Amino acid sequence: MPWNPGDDVISVQRGPRPGGAGGAYRAFGETLRGLKTTFARVLEGPITIQYPEEKVPVYPRFRGRHRLHRFEDTGLEKCVGCSLCAAACPADCIRVVAAENTPELRVSAGERYAAVYEINLSRCIFCGYCEVACPFDAITMGNDYEMSDYNRSDLIFTKEMLLAEPFDRAPLRAEGE
Amino acid sequence: MPRPETRMVTLSIDGREVTAPENVMLVDGAKYGDVEIPVFCYEPKLGAPVGACRMCLVEIEGIPKLQTACSTPVKDGMVVHTQTARVHAAQEAIVEFLLINHPLDCPVCDKGGECPLQDISFGWGGGRSRFIEPKRHFQKPLALSPLIAIDRERCILCYRCVRFSQEIAEDYQLVLQERAAHTFVATFDGHPYVAPFSGNIIELCPVGALTSQPYRFRARPWDIEGSGSVCTLCPAQCNVNFTVRDERVLRVLARDHAEVDDGWLCDKGRFAYQAVHVDERITRPMIRDGGELRPVSWERALEHAASALGRAQARVGAIAGGETTNEEGFLLQRLVREVLLSNDVDSRAGGSLSLDLHRALGAPAAQATVSDLEFADAVLVLDCEPVDDAPILDLRIRKGVRRRRVELAVATSRPSSLDPNARLRVRFAPGCAEAFLLALEAAIGTAAGEPRREEVARLAQAAGADAGAVHALADLLTTSGDDVVVLWGERVTGGERGEYAGRALLNVAGRLGLRDRDGAGLLCVPAGTNGRGLAEAGVLPNAGPGLSEVEEAGRDAAGIAAAVAAGDLVALYLLHTDPLRDLPNRGAWEAALDRASLVVAHAAFLTEGIRAHADVVFPAESYAEKEGTVTHPDGRLQRLRPAIGHQGETRAEWQVLAELARRLGRDLGVHTGPMATDQLVAAVPFYAGITLDELGGKGLRWPAREAASAFPAPATAGPFELEPPAPAPAPNGRLRLGTFRSIWAAPEVEVSPALKFLHPRQRAELSPADAQRLKLFPGDRVTVGSDGHSVSAIVALRDGAPEGTVFLETAIPEDSASLLEGPLVEVRKA
Ligand code: SF4
Ligand code: SF4
Ligand code: SF4
Ligand code: SF4
Ligand code: FES
Repeated sequence: MPWNPGDDVISVQRGPRPGGAGGAYRAFGETLRGLKTTFARVLEGPITIQYPEEKVPVYPRFRGRHRLHRFEDTGLEKCVGCSLCAAACPADCIRVVAAENTPELRVSAGERYAAVYEINLSRCIFCGYCEVACPFDAITMGNDYEMSDYNRSDLIFTKEMLLAEPFDRAPLRAEGE
Repeated sequence: MPRPETRMVTLSIDGREVTAPENVMLVDGAKYGDVEIPVFCYEPKLGAPVGACRMCLVEIEGIPKLQTACSTPVKDGMVVHTQTARVHAAQEAIVEFLLINHPLDCPVCDKGGECPLQDISFGWGGGRSRFIEPKRHFQKPLALSPLIAIDRERCILCYRCVRFSQEIAEDYQLVLQERAAHTFVATFDGHPYVAPFSGNIIELCPVGALTSQPYRFRARPWDIEGSGSVCTLCPAQCNVNFTVRDERVLRVLARDHAEVDDGWLCDKGRFAYQAVHVDERITRPMIRDGGELRPVSWERALEHAASALGRAQARVGAIAGGETTNEEGFLLQRLVREVLLSNDVDSRAGGSLSLDLHRALGAPAAQATVSDLEFADAVLVLDCEPVDDAPILDLRIRKGVRRRRVELAVATSRPSSLDPNARLRVRFAPGCAEAFLLALEAAIGTAAGEPRREEVARLAQAAGADAGAVHALADLLTTSGDDVVVLWGERVTGGERGEYAGRALLNVAGRLGLRDRDGAGLLCVPAGTNGRGLAEAGVLPNAGPGLSEVEEAGRDAAGIAAAVAAGDLVALYLLHTDPLRDLPNRGAWEAALDRASLVVAHAAFLTEGIRAHADVVFPAESYAEKEGTVTHPDGRLQRLRPAIGHQGETRAEWQVLAELARRLGRDLGVHTGPMATDQLVAAVPFYAGITLDELGGKGLRWPAREAASAFPAPATAGPFELEPPAPAPAPNGRLRLGTFRSIWAAPEVEVSPALKFLHPRQRAELSPADAQRLKLFPGDRVTVGSDGHSVSAIVALRDGAPEGTVFLETAIPEDSASLLEGPLVEVRKA
């Protein structure tokens, strides 16, 4: 015996079924409307950027891979190993181990320097807090965004890597561009 | 002197009603109402406030000017405001003033992140500087000592370090020199500040002016974790906090415990942590192979040790060193007694005492606590040198004398650093504590009207002491008050006549009524860190766990040496001890170690005896890795907690002992550290019911618990009838030999890069009169010899050393006094 739904049945009022002209418009009209934009742009030519041969220029305040800096005149490292960046980092991805400068080995301008300075870029969220925290502008967010690698441990950037000029510099967007 | 009672007073702070103990300073009183008043110079541990920094200004109704809350005691009905505009203006002004000459080099400053000046500038400062003039400059950084760096620019002249040096450690070295903005902290004579307690000023300094050299630039507060434990480098067992970064101990800070260390640490405790991470440390098991110790796998080492111990049958002697925990000691005696079926296990260097004497001396009723030293009417320091034997007690005694007018008497053979603070100093010949105590007992009798003057004179002469001084001491002890604490060194009960000296001590204690009196009693300074715990855990030849009777008493340490040398025992088990270094009579031990066919050692460092004689070496855990309990000399069980993982291949030592037992065919039933603790607690009736949770971070004095009534009562606790001992040997042109162990004589000090410079070399301490007679000058090299043995030493003169005596160091690698037999030696210029 089929089940008697009783009072549970709710009947719904439907609109008329599409068909005829309405149906045809639905099938082609909207598509053509979209294609209008497409064909209008054909005249402008392709704007595909041929990455990696070509690169997207970044804005000046883009927060890419970090750079550590040296004083231009003395060549000493600006970083004194104070660990403030490590304290500010919300991802906890900076490790600083400081050591003391000696007259024979002077690395930074202050009493101490960073003997170990590592950023684990696989954990970095590129928030830029480290840059804000640094009292000596020793660390800044650079322009480079090419950081993919085959190995997670290769994403731990050491002090030497951060101090070095990147191989390929990401282009900076020109004023007003 | 009973402890002062605290009455509570009620006052109003910022409109809150606050109830605080009477006479505390407003700064501390405010804390009872959760009001924080910023301070720099105030530190209750340093005693009376000085009011140097003015940071703590508050407004008190009825007093027109702002007052320093650190030096104003709370009063009933006082109305205090800390948040008014006037107070804020004053606080801002003080911060601005302090920062005028402050370099604010926080990024390179080691204090950054844990700096009160940073915190207070942030919380109470104006946030703006108006100072554009050049700042004051000092040369920096400078070494105040090899352990402490000083940056004078950062100093805010709060006087804390100077007060510590002048009033707590009383080494009188630090002073403030010059005036006004040019004032700086320095030692009076410009020498480095080297003192047993110097490291405390690092923790006291509220800015980064004084920083630790070994910790310099190692880590920031957000890089580290703190881990509380107990220092096991000496019997004072101070509570410490290890600073750990990347599984390495980088620093040791005090963990205030008013009943143990009062918040101070000695420099050994503060800096010898470095020994945890040095290359010299043994971190792999080793086996002697072709005459050399070579690293092997655990499996091989355990198998080798187990099979060789099995072959030795019952002919094994075992000795536990002072750093052994209660659990390790307990398992060791189980291993020896139950598995190896030997009775020869000991932890005392000075020879065994009767079980009755152990029970009488250790009875809960007769024990004084550490804080009793501070509140007693009189303290007698008997044959120990606190600064060497348990350094932190030295500070406690000084505190009692300075702040509570405790009458201090020092009765020792070697001059003590407490001599200048003592009301009375009595010297007796080394090893003559027995005769001295008998004389003292007779003198106390004389003071009570008994006709025993002649006896005193006779006994004092036998002890090599001055009879008048003994009478004076008896007077002092009987008249200054009822609460007398006797701090006695374990060397009193060392040697052949130790048993009788112990009984004489009990007679004196009985005479003074020290038993069953709160605030009075005996406090023993054992030779090893955990001497008390090991005795209670049953590591004695004649006592099982809980000082219980054993069926058959075994040999003591000296007996074991003799038996091994004679071939009666064939194997030695050395738990954290190198007999050549730690035990007396090095000659006998050399013979024993040569003859032993198996020496199994748990050791952290290859000290001479281990290097030359051990056949199997298991790496010992450092105190930062250990899990277990130790017992403080006053009966406080304290818990060791691992701060770092085991270094290298080191394994927990309870595990090694249990594994050896298993391989020898017996399961001790110990699979975790706490299981060992449970077994120990179950086996010692007067520890009954103690759990690790109950011990927590502060420990627990078992004599204060109910279970203490299960302590086995001695057959008799005195008074004993005692024969007068043989008189002290007459020097006859030679000198009596006294020995001591310096605070720095420890392998941990020897290998710590920062402390190395303090590791002692042999020196001969002479009285100026003897030096004059022998035509010796300080710094001369001499040879001290007796019966064909001799050691070489440097002469050092000590005022107050008794004439006719020379003191030499033990527990050092070369030229240790344990090579000499004494009691008389000859000193010749080398
Ligand atoms: S950018 Fe942000 S997440 Fe990345 S290192 Fe700096 S502070 Fe850390
Ligand atoms: S980069 Fe800047 S904030 Fe980080 S440690 Fe170096 S100086 Fe300090
Ligand atoms: S003492 Fe404190 S305020 Fe001064 S430089 Fe060091 S961290 Fe900064
Ligand atoms: S060195 Fe530190 S403790 Fe000593 S006076 Fe200066 S600020 Fe105070
Ligand atoms: S804390 Fe009160 S004057 Fe320094």
